[in-house]
Amino acid sequence: MPSRLRGLVVTAVLATVACLGLTSAPAMADAYTPITGEGSSWAANAIDDWRASVVNAGIKVNFAAAGSVAGLTGFAQGNSDDFAASDIPYGVKDTSPDPPGRAFAYIPDVAGGTALMYNLTVAGKRFTNLKLSGPTIAGIFAGSITRWNDPKIAAENPGVALPPLKVTPVVRSDGSGSTAQFSLWMAKQFGSVWKCGQISFFTQCGSYKATTHQAKSGDNGVAGFVAQAGNAGSIGYVEYSYALQSGFPVAKVLNKAGFYTLPTASNVAVALLKAKITMTPGPTYLTQNLDGVYVDPDPRNYPISSYSYFVVPTQLQNGFTNPKGKTLSAFVRYALCDGQQKAPTLGYSPLPINLVQAGLNQVKRIPGAETAAIDIKKCNNPTFSADGTNTLAKNALYPDLCDKSTAKAGCVYGTPSNGSKSASTGGQGDQNSVGAKPTGTGSTTTSTGSATTGGAGTPVVGGAAPGATTAGAASGAGAGAAAGAGAGAGTGSGGQVSILNPDGKTSCDPDTGQCTQLAASPAELPLDHVSAVSRWAVWLMIGLLLCLILAPPALVLSSRKAKS
Amino acid sequence: MGLAIELDDAPAAEDRPRRIKLVRDTPDKIFRGVATGSGVVVLSIMLLVGVFLSVRAFQALKRAGLSFLTTRAWEPDAGHFGVAAVLTGTILIAFVAVLIAFPLSTATSLYITQYAPDRMRSLLVSVIDLMAAIPSVVYGLWGFFFLQAEVAPVAAWISRHFGWIPLFRVDGVQKDDPLPSMTVFTGSTLIAGLVVGMMITPVVTSIMREVFSQVPIGEREGAFALGATKWGVIRSVVLPFGKGGMIGGTMLGLGRALGETIAVYMIITPVFAVQPHILQSGAISVSSLIALHFAEASPFGLSALMAAGLTLFLLTLMINFAASSVVARSRSGASS
Amino acid sequence: MTELAQREVVEPLVASTVLPRTHARPDTAEVRRFTSGVRIGDLLALLGAAAAALALTTLISSQIAPMRGVLAFVVVAYALFLVVYAVLVSLDETGPVVRDRVIAVLVQSGAFLLVGTLASVLVYTVGRGFRSMLHLNMFTQDMTLAGPLDPLTRGGVMHAIVGTLIQISIALAITIPLGVTTALFLSEVPGRFARFVRTIVEAMTALPSIVAGLFILATFVLMLGFDKSGLAAGLAITVMMLPIMIRAADVVFRLVPHTLKEASLGLGAGQLRTVLHVVLPTSRSGLTTAIILATARGIGETSPVLLTAGFTASLNANPLSGPMVSLPLLTFQFVKSPQQTMVDRGFGAAVVLMGLVLVLFVLARVLGSQDVAKRAARRQRRRARAVRRQALTRRAAALVRRSAPADPDHSGSSHRSTSA
Repeated sequence: MPSRLRGLVVTAVLATVACLGLTSAPAMADAYTPITGEGSSWAANAIDDWRASVVNAGIKVNFAAAGSVAGLTGFAQGNSDDFAASDIPYGVKDTSPDPPGRAFAYIPDVAGGTALMYNLTVAGKRFTNLKLSGPTIAGIFAGSITRWNDPKIAAENPGVALPPLKVTPVVRSDGSGSTAQFSLWMAKQFGSVWKCGQISFFTQCGSYKATTHQAKSGDNGVAGFVAQAGNAGSIGYVEYSYALQSGFPVAKVLNKAGFYTLPTASNVAVALLKAKITMTPGPTYLTQNLDGVYVDPDPRNYPISSYSYFVVPTQLQNGFTNPKGKTLSAFVRYALCDGQQKAPTLGYSPLPINLVQAGLNQVKRIPGAETAAIDIKKCNNPTFSADGTNTLAKNALYPDLCDKSTAKAGCVYGTPSNGSKSASTGGQGDQNSVGAKPTGTGSTTTSTGSATTGGAGTPVVGGAAPGATTAGAASGAGAGAAAGAGAGAGTGSGGQVSILNPDGKTSCDPDTGQCTQLAASPAELPLDHVSAVSRWAVWLMIGLLLCLILAPPALVLSSRKAKS
Repeated sequence: MGLAIELDDAPAAEDRPRRIKLVRDTPDKIFRGVATGSGVVVLSIMLLVGVFLSVRAFQALKRAGLSFLTTRAWEPDAGHFGVAAVLTGTILIAFVAVLIAFPLSTATSLYITQYAPDRMRSLLVSVIDLMAAIPSVVYGLWGFFFLQAEVAPVAAWISRHFGWIPLFRVDGVQKDDPLPSMTVFTGSTLIAGLVVGMMITPVVTSIMREVFSQVPIGEREGAFALGATKWGVIRSVVLPFGKGGMIGGTMLGLGRALGETIAVYMIITPVFAVQPHILQSGAISVSSLIALHFAEASPFGLSALMAAGLTLFLLTLMINFAASSVVARSRSGASS
Repeated sequence: MTELAQREVVEPLVASTVLPRTHARPDTAEVRRFTSGVRIGDLLALLGAAAAALALTTLISSQIAPMRGVLAFVVVAYALFLVVYAVLVSLDETGPVVRDRVIAVLVQSGAFLLVGTLASVLVYTVGRGFRSMLHLNMFTQDMTLAGPLDPLTRGGVMHAIVGTLIQISIALAITIPLGVTTALFLSEVPGRFARFVRTIVEAMTALPSIVAGLFILATFVLMLGFDKSGLAAGLAITVMMLPIMIRAADVVFRLVPHTLKEASLGLGAGQLRTVLHVVLPTSRSGLTTAIILATARGIGETSPVLLTAGFTASLNANPLSGPMVSLPLLTFQFVKSPQQTMVDRGFGAAVVLMGLVLVLFVLARVLGSQDVAKRAARRQRRRARAVRRQALTRRAAALVRRSAPADPDHSGSSHRSTSA
């Protein structure tokens, strides 16, 4: 055998052996056995964050955001998955797979709002203040509303000249809990517009047409498509965190109280106060019924809010072992307690105390769980309070009157013009808690209860138009003030909040007080592009012409020089 | 001693052909045993794959029956599934790919063998071979992030001016839209086909180049001596000689194009309908169907996916065998 | 024949009177004649056509039929260029020549387009992956500590690099011995069975790679209950690579001259000895190339890995348990993200992957060029060069001696410099 070939083979074999040998060392050093799970991409940002946080404690968790249905399926089959994450329980008709042969339990892991992230340009600037009502949203995703200047959308966004651009709804191509929760909301509330019922495969809905819709896999795939610069006019449903991370705006959704709200942590917390949790022990223990959320009369409610769940094994089946149970219980315990701290920053909403309590009780059912360490009192969760109420929901800011469905065109507040991350992550409620502002017609001051309860890390962006006569007393910001200080975590700094004057023509920067005239024509962008090409070509032309004029004499000269 | 020939003592009566007996020594026997053994192992692996796929696929096929070929939807757990849409989509994408790859690789291989200076030639060969080795996910990245944005305006232009040809029609686009949306043109068969075409071009090119370089020098020089231009020589000598190789190489490329997964999966917007409008958003292929649904497939769903995979495999197999027989029968292929 | 073709269009560029030589130094004064087939008229026609096409396209795009995008502009300009060029050439050439010229332009632009595409793939990927590659942690860390909010300075793709190497090692450890012995079986133990095996192997090269992944998923992971792991991914790559490897090796072995084998057998060597001392050494470089190219193919394969390897953010060097991510898979998953940092990391991983493939490719080229024939040719060329150099030296020495016979020092130094 030639030496080189032999060498190659030996190297390959040695490499494999070495790798096999390597593994035993770290495995023994860990007190925790690594565990593997897959599922919900809706909750994946939170789970990924927890996974990264527990590494230093020696807990190694592998998580693949393959989608809820894939998670439920993977957990049911084979030995690969030790847990699953899903937004929907097993056995929902036509939506999720049948319950598996192995014993399992649901544990709520995080709450959040399914946000409508969009990519839209108005007057050469990214539009960030879209308001949509349920029927309009259902119409968009059912394919009956096809243009952004549709009268239905225009009626909800008075004073904004939305372009006659095609609406491109971006949906999930894989089996998805986001799709299931979103379609359930539409089916329950606007069944006349949305005819597909609750589904987890959007592509199986009769309304799905590749000419109108775009389908991508995973919440990240949907958000990734919307976030591409060329895909103007697209709107997709994803967890709020994806929009926050990519710096894209989300639509304010109309709730039953007649207010347009954002899926902020507090709004979701308020909404989920009305969620009915199945408390009877059984296979559906702790699953959610969101009918109450949809019709909640609280003005702060964000209607498409829901919980996401871990699916954990309760018996040693499918390759699950006690050491794995120890890791899993430690991980879930972290997620339910300390992990909830970061939920608002990420774009989720922390769990309330009753669900954490119930969840921790479920953790004890995981074989191999260290039950002694599980103590609700040691839980460091931002929603907990001394009297057992949900701090976040209690302190949630009330929306501005400008976000009321009856608000006039002049009452438009712009949101951060760049949709910049710092502004969005600075705290929940930065966009909907814009302080009081009297309109030109002299309507009453607004947001009465909002600023007085600015605690719990909720910065209040108080603002008043430069020309305003009086500012809302409650906002704590004087006339012409920029960002009101929020008691708690960050202030709403960083984000440039532009405010539209009552005449609807001038945009003002509250930081500088500078006002700029808004361009009126929205249909400038593509034309601009054409002229850019031709301008570029014209320059090229001039260059070529010069070359043509100069080249022959130069050639002649050089040839003469060569001859002489 | 490896070979020993033992001669039988012939009975002197007449000359009969001698019986030749082969006796191998032990190392040779071991070698032959090991070689045959590995042949058997490989054969059993291959047969295992084939038989397993067929058996699992048969479960699904039994339930679907003939409707497997005519159903467009893919809802295996509802018993409503078939390859009508995915197979058409696969073939359309591969068709576009070959449409791109064939002229490009013909031009490139002609350039390499007939036009390029010597130094350029070896460089080009290396570059093309390198291109064949670039992972498909990289082509996918390029297609999704770069090509898509570049091609969409062209597709828009084509659909606006040639929309009356059914192939180029795009539904839901008004002719005089003041603000046309580019999203209608993303994730289309055309873009997926373009990317796959770029992936198979190097493969096809290297086969064609091999064939063109075997053109008998006497015939070429004869043509030149008769006063033919370079194109004349190519048309009357090179192309007729390399015809078999061109067809065979293209068909091999077609086989690759049919099975391509990741680049297609990254680009397309899946649609479960027969969608012959190549400029319009929405396409599907068998392999991207598998990539899309394997994770959430029930055991029966997995069988259905295997049935789809088997269909694709058989299609590719047919094309590959046809390609190799075309190459073998052609004048250029006889020597290779 | 190329010279022939060029000769028919060669014309003396400058007709000037040749003066009788006054100095007796013919070999230094002689200038090599310029024999290119390019005429200034051809160049002008090309340039003129290009200018006209650009101008026309600008006119069309800005005035008549507005179009968007650089690509559309280029396509239209190219079509116009062809037309204008054909018209220009037809002004002073016959039909066949016009056709020849237009075809030449088409062929050359086709080759250029292909190379340009490759360049654009490479440049675009490297350009977007560049930002993440600037951080060294990209190569030394995995994603364990990097949450969704972390910047590029945290987290890397080390786990994917290790995973790729482990998976391909597993695949190679199976495919190389099995593939090479099977190929030997096909060429050395011919018969009906070998023909059958060859047919089946050829058929299996048509197996789509994702179906290979599906097979391993259904058997190894779901039926036998193993983890989605590096081993499963390695096996899936094996199923995909094995037929390719066997086929390539078979072709290489069949190229071994029969005379060599017969000579070996005739000298009394056994079959094993013939294989070890004749077949394998003769086909060594070809075999290495085949193996390395199959490896490059296996390394870049995403779909079988997607189905069988699972996904993880942390380094897992144990192929037997737990998910193990590879570079193409990581790229595929990361670039989906709406987050710029994730996309950057994905592109970075793609660049690393391309680097790996490039290294393998160069290795294949270097090893593959060490062919017996080529090595002999190189040796011959070296010898010829030495002979030429000697002759040159001798001539130079003679020259120097003739021109400056009185200066032995100078002669010596020039001698040294030419021979160096």
